[in-house]
Amino acid sequence: MVLEIVVMVKQVPDSQEVVIDPVTMNLNRSMTRNVTNRADENALEAALQIKDKVPANITIVSMGPPQAETTMIECLARGADRAVLVSDRAFGGADTYPTGLTVASAISKLDHFDIIIAGEESSDSSTGHVGPGVAEFLGIDQITYCSKIEFSDGRVTAERELEDGTEVVQCPTPVLVTMLLGSNFPRMQTLRRKIDATKKGIEVWNLEKLGLQPEWVGVRGSPTIVRRMQSIKERERAKKPVTLEAIPDMVKELYEKNILKVK
Amino acid sequence: MNIEEKLSVLNYKTDPTYAHITVKPDLCEVCPDHFCTFACPASCYKLIDGKLNFKYEDCVECGTCFVACSHGSVNWTNPKGGQGIKYKLG
Amino acid sequence: MSEFDAIVVGAGPAGASAASRMASSGLNVLLVERGDPPGSKNVSGGILWGQELSKLYPDWEKSAPLERFISNKVTGFLTDDSYIGIDFRTKKFEKEKTGYSVLRTKLDGWLAKKAKDAGSTVITGITVDGLAWNDKRVVGIKQGNDIITSDLVVLAEGANPRIAIGEGLRPPIGDHDVAIGIKQVVKLSEQVINERFNLRNGAGMAAEFSLGFLKNGVKAGGFLYTNKDTISAGVVIDIAGLRKDNSTYSFNIMDQFVSHPYIAPYLEGGQLQEYSAHLVCEGGIDYVPKLYGNGYMITGDSAGLSFSNGMVIQGMNYAIASGIAAADTAIRCKNSGSYDLDQIAYYDNLMKDSQAIKDMKNFRGISKVTWSPMVHEFIPKFAESVLNGMFYETGEPKKHLMEIALGSLKETGYDRKKLIIEGFRLMRKM
Ligand SMILES: Cc1cc2nc3c(=O)[nH]c(=O)nc-3n(C[C@H](O)[C@H](O)[C@H](O)COP(=O)(O)OP(=O)(O)OC[C@H]3O[C@@H](n4cnc5c(N)ncnc54)[C@H](O)[C@@H]3O)c2cc1C
Ligand code: SF4
Ligand code: SF4
Repeated sequence: MVLEIVVMVKQVPDSQEVVIDPVTMNLNRSMTRNVTNRADENALEAALQIKDKVPANITIVSMGPPQAETTMIECLARGADRAVLVSDRAFGGADTYPTGLTVASAISKLDHFDIIIAGEESSDSSTGHVGPGVAEFLGIDQITYCSKIEFSDGRVTAERELEDGTEVVQCPTPVLVTMLLGSNFPRMQTLRRKIDATKKGIEVWNLEKLGLQPEWVGVRGSPTIVRRMQSIKERERAKKPVTLEAIPDMVKELYEKNILKVK
Repeated sequence: MNIEEKLSVLNYKTDPTYAHITVKPDLCEVCPDHFCTFACPASCYKLIDGKLNFKYEDCVECGTCFVACSHGSVNWTNPKGGQGIKYKLG
Repeated sequence: MSEFDAIVVGAGPAGASAASRMASSGLNVLLVERGDPPGSKNVSGGILWGQELSKLYPDWEKSAPLERFISNKVTGFLTDDSYIGIDFRTKKFEKEKTGYSVLRTKLDGWLAKKAKDAGSTVITGITVDGLAWNDKRVVGIKQGNDIITSDLVVLAEGANPRIAIGEGLRPPIGDHDVAIGIKQVVKLSEQVINERFNLRNGAGMAAEFSLGFLKNGVKAGGFLYTNKDTISAGVVIDIAGLRKDNSTYSFNIMDQFVSHPYIAPYLEGGQLQEYSAHLVCEGGIDYVPKLYGNGYMITGDSAGLSFSNGMVIQGMNYAIASGIAAADTAIRCKNSGSYDLDQIAYYDNLMKDSQAIKDMKNFRGISKVTWSPMVHEFIPKFAESVLNGMFYETGEPKKHLMEIALGSLKETGYDRKKLIIEGFRLMRKM
């Protein structure tokens, strides 16, 4: 039996290139280029590591504009087998609720799936909603914020990093897992795969293909509305020169102000 | 602005699994000139307490050190695809 | 059967031009670039001189991402506390548009897209590891565990050609082949740039200086180019001089240039957007390796096809020209059905007749002169001293020009015999 793995990816603006305009204090994205969300690269690598051990098929599913094709090709060049880009004007402006719905309905249109792997969150909106949302829409179990996953005997074993330890969770498939940013080292793309992927191209599914109603998706299907964005100026903080002699007094002061606690 | 501040405006996709440039410590140990420390525009080569310290993470892949080191210590390769410096203007 | 008619390694001006030309003639072409996106590894000053691109894209001046056309050229010298410059403006520059300032990520992105539109398979973010050989003939490229085959490989790796050197197709690069290029791009508004440099209607300035303030035989040129709403300021440093001195940091030379009392005001208030460095290839004709062999051709900077007189750099235009010549050779091979060595040799013939090689021949040995103390030490000091003598109000009756000149000559402390020899060389080259 071939294990069917779905990996959810998103193309995001390169966070290293998003700069704050010193005059308007707004995010200046004019100079930014798009990249694959880093945590999603970790999700794909987790899938590939399973595929290294058991026969598996990896399908990439992404919702995004047509230019997200470059991200999909990249995933294929790393070793994924199939890429489906869910793209339609109607999906524009979606918050995390219709995004989850749209991705979930795309996944349910696939013949079969055993494991869905997503990144813990996207670097451009940082909600972490979409993975869990997809699990809810599909009515399957989920294990979030994993540092490691393994598959054997129809079960996924996942490690979750907690504040003071590691939790090991086991769950039968079908299951959705979200992977922590930096939980592994994503493998490189290969030229051979990238040539093949570029020639073959990706599948693009629109609203009609998913059979969704326009009012369920995109900005119309979004319960939240961004009313206003505000940049917060950092408060000027008092500065004290640190000398070796002053350290005990400083620690004492922090303790007295209840900033430092002694266990 | 010092060189560290200048480098801080750059965007790198650092590859933690592969150092694309390496030096041979035994050769650097006896190096009479340490010319790499003067030549490298990104200050990746530093003399710390008389010992050569090399950091590939700040490298902008200019190629200078490969020419600069006349003792055959520098092994220079391209980073793996898409990794390393990412200029946005050039 | 090979998978591709031709594989091009590197999507700089040389590689992207070659791929585009071949693909538009119906060849099955693969273009591989390690940067993602294209251009993200590349640095130029950069002024794109000449009309090379019109041979590929007749409407390039309208569609390429060009910053400003060059309406005035400044050539000058900087000493510790003086600026001596010739500011040349002519209506001719405005009519004929001899050069445009460019930023490489934009330009290279456009060139790669053009190559893709022409029908090449363009792959970015992949580093080619080496060449595949069969019976002393290059038959493709290697990447990881894979081999991709082609009838021809065009190497367009730039100034630090790892593959061409690694595969023994050219000698390693040394102090004579290259200089260290360092650049800073500073953001200012279009309006401020227009005011500071007295420019309008998309016009731009290209300034190059000899940095006479450097000591101990360290030699470098400086450049200042205007883009739409940024300024590119950079230095090109002679490696031999820096090596001999062995106490000056390359990045400090960059700093000294932008904080020079007469350069700093141009950049004042500007925000640093990028700091970059790249080798500048400038060995001249004597360092151009064999351009072709069984199954391959070498183009652009990888083949040392760049011309610099220490200040102005021409490389992108020659890279494009050599890319076109390599493409025309490949097209000829494909049409004749033969990829034999004597067919590939056609590339060499095309290059021999090219402007690039002609320019480089005319200026054979130019780097000896341009990196000579004459240009980098004597002329700046001498000119400063003469101008001081002419214009500085001492309250005494003005001396005759010849008298000032002779006095200045003494002041520079420069050996007269050496001066005559180097002066003669300079005159011959110019
Ligand atoms: C500071 C500076 C100022 C300059 N100023 C000017 C100027 O004003 N005017 C001018 O005309 N020229 C200028 N030049 C020179 C000009 O930049 C070069 O001559 C020109 O870029 C050469 O083009 P190329 O296509 O040969 O190489 P490049 O533009 O260097 O392109 C080579 C490409 O190959 C890719 N590559 C290399 N190895 C591999 C591999 N193994 N696998 C995949 N991809 C690979 C690189 O990433 C790169 O994109 C300047 C250079 C510098 C450094
Ligand atoms: S890299 Fe070369 S120049 Fe630098 S210290 Fe080592 S041997 Fe010397
Ligand atoms: S390639 Fe250039 S930036 Fe990188 S270490 Fe060498 S000299 Fe420094």
